[in-house]
Amino acid sequence: MSLQLKNIKKKFKSDNVIDGVTLSVESGETLVLFGPSGAGKTVLLRLIAGVIEPDLGEIWINGQNMKGVEPEERGIGMAFQNFALFPHMDAAENIAAPLTARRQSSTDITSTVEKIAKLLKIEHVLHHKPKELSNGQKQRTALARALSAEPSVLLLDDPLRNVDAKLRFEMRLELPRLLKDQNATVIYVTQDYKEAMAMGRRIAVMSNHSIQQIGTPADIYLRPANLEIARLFGDPVINLVNVRPESGPDGITVLISGMPITLNGFEAAIGRECILGLRPESLNFVVEHTTGAFAVDIETETLLNEKIVTLAVTRSGEEIMISRPANMPGAVSGRAWLSIMTSNALLFDKLTGNLLTPNLMDAAA
Amino acid sequence: MTGSMLHLSGLDKFYGSIDHGVQAVKNFSMTVEKGEIIALLGSSGCGKTSTLRMIAGFESVSRGQIFIAGREVQNLPPVKRNVAMAFEGYSLYPTVNVRDNIAFALKASRLTGVEVAARVDGVSQMLEITDILDRFPSTISGGQQQRASLARALVRQADLHLLDEPMGQLEPQLRTLLRGRIKHYIKEAGLTAILVTHDQTEANALADKIAVMEEGVLQQYASPSEIKNRPANLFTGTFVGEPPMNVFPANVSIEGGIFRLHLHGGLELSYNESDFAQPVRERMLGYRDVVIGVRPYAVHRAATGAAAIILVNQWLGDQSHIAASFAGKTIVLVEHDRSAGAEGELIFLRVHPSDLHVFDPASGKALSHGKELA
Repeated sequence: MSLQLKNIKKKFKSDNVIDGVTLSVESGETLVLFGPSGAGKTVLLRLIAGVIEPDLGEIWINGQNMKGVEPEERGIGMAFQNFALFPHMDAAENIAAPLTARRQSSTDITSTVEKIAKLLKIEHVLHHKPKELSNGQKQRTALARALSAEPSVLLLDDPLRNVDAKLRFEMRLELPRLLKDQNATVIYVTQDYKEAMAMGRRIAVMSNHSIQQIGTPADIYLRPANLEIARLFGDPVINLVNVRPESGPDGITVLISGMPITLNGFEAAIGRECILGLRPESLNFVVEHTTGAFAVDIETETLLNEKIVTLAVTRSGEEIMISRPANMPGAVSGRAWLSIMTSNALLFDKLTGNLLTPNLMDAAA
Repeated sequence: MTGSMLHLSGLDKFYGSIDHGVQAVKNFSMTVEKGEIIALLGSSGCGKTSTLRMIAGFESVSRGQIFIAGREVQNLPPVKRNVAMAFEGYSLYPTVNVRDNIAFALKASRLTGVEVAARVDGVSQMLEITDILDRFPSTISGGQQQRASLARALVRQADLHLLDEPMGQLEPQLRTLLRGRIKHYIKEAGLTAILVTHDQTEANALADKIAVMEEGVLQQYASPSEIKNRPANLFTGTFVGEPPMNVFPANVSIEGGIFRLHLHGGLELSYNESDFAQPVRERMLGYRDVVIGVRPYAVHRAATGAAAIILVNQWLGDQSHIAASFAGKTIVLVEHDRSAGAEGELIFLRVHPSDLHVFDPASGKALSHGKELA
């Protein structure tokens, strides 16, 4: 079942909560809807589900306009943040509810429930009532119930939010396969960029009530459309340095920490106020001053999960973070030199925040 | 005891009666030296918050003693313990602005007005709240309130600083920036701090030592690198580390100078006898059945080795997480390049002997780490 949103708008009182969203999800695809809290993600799911109606625009499911179609007739399964489990039923009965309603045989129901519960690692709590479940278990029970119905369209609102880190990691590996096996068309909402990159072939980044960029994880991480998106993906966060490109021997020259760095192309950016984005993992320590390197003073070094993060300060006072695998040598204290992988450097227009590309200015505009 | 800033001795916490209640903290002992930053780390319900609240005086102690700067304090009210706190629900004064909330913490000190203002400015700059100093608590966001409350605690000089999930409300981008700065600030000011967190990245980044808790019991109390390199048991080994440590049951044998770890499905990891010190070999052979643990970063692809089939390859920007079907389970490996590796591809895995952790399958206790005994 394919899903199309055409220029959806929704206001609550005078606030625009959805400001012109157009989106298309193919049959069997999992599209990740990623964004900070308050972006409008949950409202968008509620619109698709038919719980609320858009002010403007159309929602099409499998070639059919959903205007006036009741939520229960849309063929949509949902797992929302507030669980909404039946309190008087145990977890197994909750998961079986959609199947019981369809009058499937009890052996079929039991085997479906057990299969899904095993995948979501809640088989040991199947006979617990919702009030005896932890939040993470409630959330997985709600997810299991949504999956058991095998709906053709599945809306999942941050289904791993309350799950602990270890289990979340395991689910992140297994859920994509489970969803693929179900052949459902899925919109998967998350606020965790790693989950977004792991779960979806395509990610729609939502912010300020509209979709800012849609693309593969590589499109978004390597070519973020604007500064905000660049900051939402990556840990540690991308370094941003104010620069004013000048004409250079081979493209443009920018000053970092008082040192000239050459970037190919970008001639149209000369003289404009820009921001250079440098991913912490694309900075490398070099032994001494080499061409294209700049000096920093190291403040602290922190070991984070097999990755060492160094906090350093440039000569112009900006804080820079550098990350490297723990087994790779670096600099521990004092003055150090950093080289930039210029192919990974991102240049943004300071005024608009949009990404500039070497040949074509204002690519995102 | 004397000399150390905090000493906990045999702490028990029961909710309800000692006979019939729920025991949240079990025989917890720990010593913290002046100037150290300690993280209490564990999943929800592990007893970490109960422990912090007992130190603060918000929760009574069922059994055991608490010494702060050499004084026995478990029967004293919170205000008499000379601790500074940033707790959820330990809220800001609603009738004064953020600046005065922070400055109020310095009221009892003998600082001049100018000195107070300088301290408030310093901590506010560090926590990026200079723009809200004139606002009232009810008009700022949850994340700003949390930073204001943290500023109020850190600006003081106290024997102990107790911080409960100090960055829980902040956006991830701000959290990465602030954890480095907060550590720097605490060290510069020479404070002794204990923070509770469920976020291991935060614990690793901030703390000199981590106290890992599970089911009310202190599992390990050591530096982040010690916990990473020498986890005391299977719980700590698999709880700390992202992605989690891979664990597999194995059967040990030595024949003709070859040391073999037999895994499920006929797979094996083989080493030269000399790759392990004599006592390590003897201990492993003594157990026969062990559990081996390998961190995802220590699983390497090679031309030959134990076979695995790739299930998923997830690229996360600065690293790739590859899950493969291996010895009847899923093994996870991490590569720093955006490496190739398609679903269904056959790969061969190697683990360097120094990256091998071995555990007792019955008790979960660590037996050896690499070439050394645990």
